Amino acid sequence: MAERFMSERNLKFVLYEVLDLESLTKLPYYQDHSREIFDLTLDTAIRMGRDLLAPAFQEMDKQQPQLVNGEVKVHSLVRTFMKESGEGGWIGAGFPYDAGGQQLPTTVAMAAGFVFGAANFAAGAYPLLTTGASHLILSFGSDELREIYVPQMLSGKWQGTMALTEPQAGSSLSDITTRAEPTDEGYYKIFGQKIFISAGDHSGVDNVIHLMLAKIKGAPLGVKGISLFVVPKKRLDPDGTLVSNDVTTVGVYHKMGYKGCPITQLSMGENGDCRGYLVGEPHKGLSYMFQMMNEARLGVGMQATSIAAAAYYASLEYAGERPQGRKIATKDPSLPQVPIIEHADVRRMLLFQRAITEGSLSLLLQCSLYADLAAHSEGEEKERYDLLLDLLTPVAKSYPSEMGILSVSQGLQILGGYGYCDEFPLEQYYRDIRIHPIHEGTTGIQALDLLGRKVVMKNGAAARLYFEEVYQAITPALQDPTLKPYAEKLQEALGTLQAVTTHLVGFALKGEVELFLADATLYLELFGIIAVAWQWLLQGLAAQEGLQAGPTEQEALFYQGKLMTMRYFYHYEFPKIQGLATRLTDGVAVTTEMNRELFAD
Amino acid sequence: MKSLVCLKQVPDTETQIKVNPEGTGIVTEGIKHIINPYDEFSVEEALRLKEKFKEGEVVILAIGPDRATESIRTALAMGADRGIHVNDPAVNTADPFAVAQALAAAAKDVQYDVIFCGHRAIDDDFCEVGAMLAEFLGLPQVTLVTKVEVAADKKSAILERDIEGGKETVEVPLPCVVTSQKGLNEPRYASLPGIMKAKKKPIDAKNAAALGVSVEAKLQSKEYSMPPERKAGKKIEGLEPPDAAKQVVQALRNEAKII
Repeated sequence: MAERFMSERNLKFVLYEVLDLESLTKLPYYQDHSREIFDLTLDTAIRMGRDLLAPAFQEMDKQQPQLVNGEVKVHSLVRTFMKESGEGGWIGAGFPYDAGGQQLPTTVAMAAGFVFGAANFAAGAYPLLTTGASHLILSFGSDELREIYVPQMLSGKWQGTMALTEPQAGSSLSDITTRAEPTDEGYYKIFGQKIFISAGDHSGVDNVIHLMLAKIKGAPLGVKGISLFVVPKKRLDPDGTLVSNDVTTVGVYHKMGYKGCPITQLSMGENGDCRGYLVGEPHKGLSYMFQMMNEARLGVGMQATSIAAAAYYASLEYAGERPQGRKIATKDPSLPQVPIIEHADVRRMLLFQRAITEGSLSLLLQCSLYADLAAHSEGEEKERYDLLLDLLTPVAKSYPSEMGILSVSQGLQILGGYGYCDEFPLEQYYRDIRIHPIHEGTTGIQALDLLGRKVVMKNGAAARLYFEEVYQAITPALQDPTLKPYAEKLQEALGTLQAVTTHLVGFALKGEVELFLADATLYLELFGIIAVAWQWLLQGLAAQEGLQAGPTEQEALFYQGKLMTMRYFYHYEFPKIQGLATRLTDGVAVTTEMNRELFAD
Repeated sequence: MKSLVCLKQVPDTETQIKVNPEGTGIVTEGIKHIINPYDEFSVEEALRLKEKFKEGEVVILAIGPDRATESIRTALAMGADRGIHVNDPAVNTADPFAVAQALAAAAKDVQYDVIFCGHRAIDDDFCEVGAMLAEFLGLPQVTLVTKVEVAADKKSAILERDIEGGKETVEVPLPCVVTSQKGLNEPRYASLPGIMKAKKKPIDAKNAAALGVSVEAKLQSKEYSMPPERKAGKKIEGLEPPDAAKQVVQALRNEAKII
């Protein structure tokens, strides 16, 4: 692993200078917090990342989890880190005081998650899943469920999971068949199979609590018949001892990356003795689960960003040290070789990585800020932030995941043959990041969510609010000669986005749903580039402000580097929207007219 | 069990140090500061003693400019009870003698069974403050300590310390000054509840006048300079090994003049 896996300066730039995180402390819910507390929190996260997580990054990849006698053995760091996460208060950091939390803003918790993910993504996943699962119990579970499960999960002694996928039901959750049979005892008997369950069983905790979707016998067909259950690996006997709950770990998948965290196959009720405890009301499980899924989607975007960031710093370090060739203009072989960062094409790759990584980080923290504002405001204001968050969640999940892969790939390219070998961490980052466009809703699912649901909901109310937000960056940027060209480009792009949206929604209005959604993924891509361009303009504004305040030499370099990366984004990545817009509006049906027979040979 | 922990804020070990243009010190703007790692062992050990005896207090005493508060706050977030921050330009950058004088003056108002110091600070590497502080306070001191066992009556302690090639175990009456060495413990991370509580814990700010000391530095630093940059090496290529070896010997004798 390279010496540096993230930039504290950049993280604080986004939090304080771009997003004005400190303004959150004016909300009564966050009144005990301050910049000092946020800084101490991030400082601790960085130390934990550097001293605890990073040293085991490669080892956890090489020593994969093993299924031994029905239990999954994982690296010893998992228990240590779950304990630290529990005792340190990280798992329930954002929860209210009365629920054992610290009322830490989601934005700060996400920033800490970024640090952990950059240090060791697989290790960082365990507490993150536990946070989501315990939040679900806290939000919708009965008092009894909260009392039994939440404290143990927040302490890091019990793992939380989300158990949705089944062999025949992945993206199509309406087809799940895990069933729950009511009993007179207040619990349900669960029967079925779940696959791809992250951290579904492991030796780093004393118990695993699955937040599981199942159908109660006789429930309506489709998603309206799905209920949510707490299904523990071990249940509490009346005398307080933990006994088996008939959840069997049938297998551990062998994955290409993300190897430090097991993905398991589970079988429930093989002996007819698996108990599930209903969360909330019957048949409302999926709507509850969406709380965890939406949080997890931002979490996945952040994990992708963190891996891409770590890869960027590894390739940056290498590019500064590896001598190879001479400047193109001076081909004199008697001169010493130059470090490869002196070559424009290598700098292009580094700028690509940086533009993707820092743009993604900014977008995700922006969404986290909306989440904080939505959770602690009321009325119209709350609705505003809820809608913005709803609209941007699929974008903030997908852009970092998809582009993060390309970003790490360019980082690997910088290392050439060494990038392809395991002496350097790039090949692991490349394998690790590949999961992100797949789990928590594939990119295709996110695209359907964005175009088919979010953009059109409430007659386009969310999209209108989003345009307003983007204009809040464009308007001041138009007044700044350095930023004006980019503000104009962004303004024009909003027009393009509007035209594309109107064109596509036109199909929906004509009832041509296939055509409306066939290229939703391209629409998501277009939307994502514009959203990240918006974040880069915001960063440009903050950098200009920083430069005008008379910074030190080192700080001035930081701000100038920011502006240069913004320029890169607008001149290299941004033009791609023209090609996407052309395709999205040319009206020629290709994928809808292509058929299986034409794939014959 | 009451401990007084002397803590110094130092540049992060990962920081690139630059000497300022006047050569009077290093550039401190824009660099990250941390608790001196040996002092962090001290904080941890003091917390463990308080936890073991289930009573007492851990007081953090630091000298330094405003930013030193951050390091005191970090120690409070780890679990220490309160802080004393001596912030006085006359002391902040003074020599170990003056620093020890100020620490001794500040320690007079604190009750303690043990005073912990790091055995050295990783910035100036003097390794002197602990010894001088013990002298000023008339206390016994044990240096380079890697294990602390305090007797139940808190009247004495058995300490293990590093010596060349091994360990020495000593018994010392309390109160005493202990200087902490690597290996003493694994310092804990601050917890989020700890961070929230730290904000409300008191930090008592003092200057030299309030302490009633006029420090008298014995040392004056004349100049700071960076070590000379390493020059490129010389490659001997294209020769058979015996001839290459001869060239190397000649170069070491005639050019490097080391043999």
